[in-house]
Parts: sequence; C-alpha cells; structure tokens
Amino acid sequence: MPLHDVGYRAWQGRRTGWWAPAAAIATTGIRLAWTSRWLRRAVFFAWSPALVFAASFFAFEQAVDEGRITSMVERAANGRNVDGIGLLGTVLANTLGTPSSLDPAASREEENAHTRRLVWSRLLLAFMRAPQAVLLTVVVGLVAPTLISRDLRARAWLVYFTRPVSRWEYIVGKILVLTTVVAAVTVLPALALWLAGVLVSPSVWVIVETWDLPLRIIGASVVLAIPTVLLALAFSSLTAESRIATFAWFATWAACWIAHSSLTTADLVATPTEATVMGESMTDALDADWRPPQRFHWLARAAGLDTAIDRWSWLSPYHAIGILQAWTFGVEERPKAIAPPAVSMVVVSLLATAVLAWRVTAPMRA
Amino acid sequence: MTTGFDLPVRLDGVVKRYGGRTVLDRVTCEIQPGITGLVGPNGAGKSTLVRAMLGLVRLAAGHVEVFGRDPAQEPREVRQLIGVVPEDECAVPGLAAVEMVRYAARLSGLPSIEALRRAHEVLDWCDAGQERYRPVETLSVGMRQKVSFAAAIVHDPRLVILDEPTNGLDPLERRAMLDRLTTLAREHGKTVLVSTHVLPDVQAICDRVIVLAAGRVRLQGSIDELTRPAIPRLRLEATGPIDRLVAQLAGRGIDATRHGDTTLLLPLQDATGRERIWDAARESGAVIRALHPTHERLEDVFLRAIAPRDEVMHAAS
Repeated sequence: MPLHDVGYRAWQGRRTGWWAPAAAIATTGIRLAWTSRWLRRAVFFAWSPALVFAASFFAFEQAVDEGRITSMVERAANGRNVDGIGLLGTVLANTLGTPSSLDPAASREEENAHTRRLVWSRLLLAFMRAPQAVLLTVVVGLVAPTLISRDLRARAWLVYFTRPVSRWEYIVGKILVLTTVVAAVTVLPALALWLAGVLVSPSVWVIVETWDLPLRIIGASVVLAIPTVLLALAFSSLTAESRIATFAWFATWAACWIAHSSLTTADLVATPTEATVMGESMTDALDADWRPPQRFHWLARAAGLDTAIDRWSWLSPYHAIGILQAWTFGVEERPKAIAPPAVSMVVVSLLATAVLAWRVTAPMRA
Repeated sequence: MTTGFDLPVRLDGVVKRYGGRTVLDRVTCEIQPGITGLVGPNGAGKSTLVRAMLGLVRLAAGHVEVFGRDPAQEPREVRQLIGVVPEDECAVPGLAAVEMVRYAARLSGLPSIEALRRAHEVLDWCDAGQERYRPVETLSVGMRQKVSFAAAIVHDPRLVILDEPTNGLDPLERRAMLDRLTTLAREHGKTVLVSTHVLPDVQAICDRVIVLAAGRVRLQGSIDELTRPAIPRLRLEATGPIDRLVAQLAGRGIDATRHGDTTLLLPLQDATGRERIWDAARESGAVIRALHPTHERLEDVFLRAIAPRDEVMHAAS
C-alpha cells in the first residue's frame, strides 16, 4: 500500500515534441542492449585497437619533433618496422614515396604539415577499416537481431502503434540504437585517436592542420553506419526468431566476403602479369618504385594504399564500404573505383529501408 | 444529445476487407460517454473495429470519428486521446513493470521525469505493490493485466479501450478491475469501451452495449432497453405462504404466475396496482423481499442477436 495513495488523477501537463517517441525508443533500446554482458565486453574490446594505433601516431610525431622523418622513411622503405606494428612504415613508405604535390620551395613546416595530413588520414582510415569495421560487424550482430524480432515475438508492436508513434518514428528510434553502438565502436575511438595525435604532437598548430579529420571520421562512420544498420534491422524485421536474424547477418557478411575473395583471386590467377581491371592495368597503376611489404599488405589495403581498382568491391559490404570510407578521407578519388560500391550500398540501403517499412507494420495487416 | 467533438466515437458505414474477406460490413454505430460493452463471437470483427478507431487499418469505405477527429487523417492526435489494453500479452521484454508503464507514458508524449512520477501513481492506484520492480516477463497473468491497464491510462486518455480486461484475474482482482473502470467512467468522465466475452461483466458495469457478429452491428443500445422484455412484467420475490399470496392477488384481479418456489411474475402495475400487491401480501402473511420490473438476461439477448438472420426471422414468426 503506498504511503500517499492519491488515487487516479487527471494529467494536464505539456506534452513533449515530435522527437520524443523516437528518443524514448532509442534511449530505452540502448539501455536494454547495454544489459548484455557480451555487448559491454565487445565495446570495451573495440577500444583496444586505438591503443595500438596510438603508438603509430606517437612514433610519427616523435620523428617530426626530432627532425628524423627522412631517415624514418628510408628505414620504412627498406621494410623496417618503425612503430612496433608495421603500419606507420607501410604508410610512410607509400605516402612519402609518391611525388609531393607541394611547391619544391615549401618550408620544412609546410612539408611536415602536408606529410602529417597524409599520414594521419591513412592511419585513421586503416584504423576504421581494419579492426573497427570487423569489430562493428560483431557488435551490430550482437545488438541488431533482437531489436525488432523481439518486438514481433513479444507482440510489443501493440505497445508502439496503439500510441502516437508512427512506423518511421519507430524505425528511426531503432536506427538510433544501432547508430549509438556504431559511434561507440568507430567514431569515438577514432576521435580519441585523433585527439591522442594532437596531444602527442609538439605543435598546437596540428589542430589547424588536421581540423577536417574529425569531420571525415564522422563522415566515414556515416558511410559505414547507413547500409550496415539498415541491413541489420531489415534482417531483424523479417523474423520473430532473433537467432535466425543473427545467422542471416553473419552469413551475409561471410558469404559476400568469400564471393569477393574468390572472384578477385580468380582474376589474379587468370591474368597474373597483367590484371587488367576495368580498362586499367593493375601493374601500371601501382607505384613502380614501391610495393608494400608483404607481411603488412592487409594494412596497406586498409589504409587505401593499394592503387589497383577492385572491380568486385560492390559485391562485398566490407570492401564496398571500405572504398567509400577511403573516398571520405580523400584517399580514393577515382570515379571508376567509387561508383560501383556507392551504387551497391545505395541499393542495399534502399532495399533494406523498403523491407523495414513493410515489415514493421505487417502484424497490423494480419 | 452528444454531438461533434463531445461524441467519443462515431462509425459511419465502415467497410474493411482483408483480401476477399469482408471483416467489417457497413458498420454504423456510436460510442457514447460512459461504459460501452462491445460483444460478439470470435471473428466478429471487434479487434478490427478497434484498429479502425486507432487509424491502424485502411478502410475500404466509411468514416470514423474519434472526438470529432478522423484517425486516418490525424492518427497522432487521435491516439493521444486513446488508451488501449490489448487482450494478448504485449510488453517489452527486459523492462521492469514500472519502467514499462513509464515507457508507455514517454511514447505518449509525457516528459521523462513526469512519466516516472505518473507511472508510480497509476501503479499505486492499480495496487501493483512492489511487484512493479520485477521484469514484465516474470509477472503473473493478473499482474501483467494490471501493468497493461496502467500503461493504457498513464497518459490520461479520454477514451479507454479494453480487450478482455478480466482475463486471467481471480474473483477479487476481477471485481477490483471492474470497480476501477466504473471509477474512471463515473468520477473522471472517461469513455470506456470493453470488448469481452464475459457477459456478466458487461451487465455489471456497462451502460450500453454493441453486439457485433460477422462484421455487422446486430444490436446496439442501452442495457436497460435491450434487456427489457417484449411484454413488461414485475418480478416479485417473497417468503411465507406463496400459494395464499397468489390467491389474494387473484382476488384483487392480478394474475400471478409461479416462477420457482419464491418468485412470482406479475403484469406491470401502476401505483394503485402496486398498492393492491402490498395489501395482498399483508392479508396472506407473505413477506415481499423484492419487487422490480423483469429484465431478460443479456446472454439471451446476445444469443438472439448473433443468431443467423433467417433463424431470427423464423423465431419471430
């Protein structure tokens, strides 16, 4: 028995705005998702690569501070590990191995600023592509499948649609849940990495030189989030069994990856010396003076250092999103490379949105 | 007469089809302030009717108005005026009962802190006790029903729609639930629509009833009107020498029919006639326990209403 039972009372307060239902769905969804011990572990683990990449930033800024960039580049060109993880050497060898776009008469400070922009962009791109995109797949796979399928199973759609909640507000609320997860796994660690770079840099002007990188990080995360979030929610909306949605999510990524790898390998085997891809010779496209050290080739690719156009990228979400992220960081600018994955991801996003819009109100039509 | 924005619900020639099946067939009815019972056999179209009021289904024809608003045009505004207790369990797994009610309040547009305060208030009114802190999926059927009810009224709707509200409740809880509905309607001016199969519940609390069968409104009106027999009679319950009472009544020109050991059915009387009944009782030594106009049982009215039309015609002839 309550101490002050006031009985039933009318309520005449002021109602919140149009954004309130989506915000309520998002905050409640995040809170429920966060109760999963596995999600907490995964998000915690997702920050650990940032510590490793911070070492590259530190090594680079130390070299800049001590004026030994040239010697570091030489060591990197000889395949030496300059930061303990091999990534910085890979990036430096390629970045400073290409002809500089700077005026030959540029001062040392200007050259350092130009080098820093290139190196930081590639380090951040590698960070977002290699560890974070893979971890994101796992984290979204933990959260997304239950988001809508659980509502279908528990008939919770009645909770929403008998109230002033439209299906688009419901969908936006669920998207916000996953977007928060994406932010926790990609945006925030990448921004923290940029901030770490600023802190270990000897010059405060580094903020001015790299001011656009936080925006590019957010842009790259949006490119990553839109198709993945919509696809994951579409799977979740197709079944009341979250296990099936989980399986569909991981199976899609794995199958697309395998298909991409198989077709790319088949291309290389068919024309090992002259892999002509979309009218451009792969060997010609590569820098004649430089090849990334084989043991760090995957990092070179992640950092956008592989200049060959991947003609099967549109087939695999991981590879398609990677190219679009490279475009966001200004690393990839060739329309032939960007257009197929862009079209592919737009189509995937539109299809997923259509499925979502159709499925979330399906129980009401039954 | 209630009109325009005061009339809670008005349906005019509503037709809804799912594929080739007509679920609502030219339904025309009004839901007046007070408590209305919506009764009908399974598959009669009750749930679809409720969905039409919420603007959740697209109608093939007809028009719905809820407090003067069209749910198809203004679904958000209409749903803010309505609270729904669905028959089936529906909850967000993982939330405690109080969180569930608070969530419902936030979805209905209450600010976060106010939603929590209001959730506790309505759960107090529903006697939810400390059970409110348990996850909804672990609650008993009766407690879940309370949570659903609290979630439906937490935003103070003008119209409360309940689908089988006493399902799974023990007799005490059932009585308490019916009392709460009566309080909402009588003391707080809410319009309550109860969709149920439990006709005694309808007869106990409802002012009006709508009988729906095969997608059509078969009967609607106040309970008093619908249960009034074709030939009005008085029902007299007495103890003592019933046979002598019958004889005394006959001597006063009142033809009484025995209906059980202690009950008589009499023709409806005016004030003078009722005076003669008391005189007869005094003379015979019988004690009158009750004297009131007869009513048909709602169940009989319902069964007659949902019978196929040709059967009804046959019975009438």
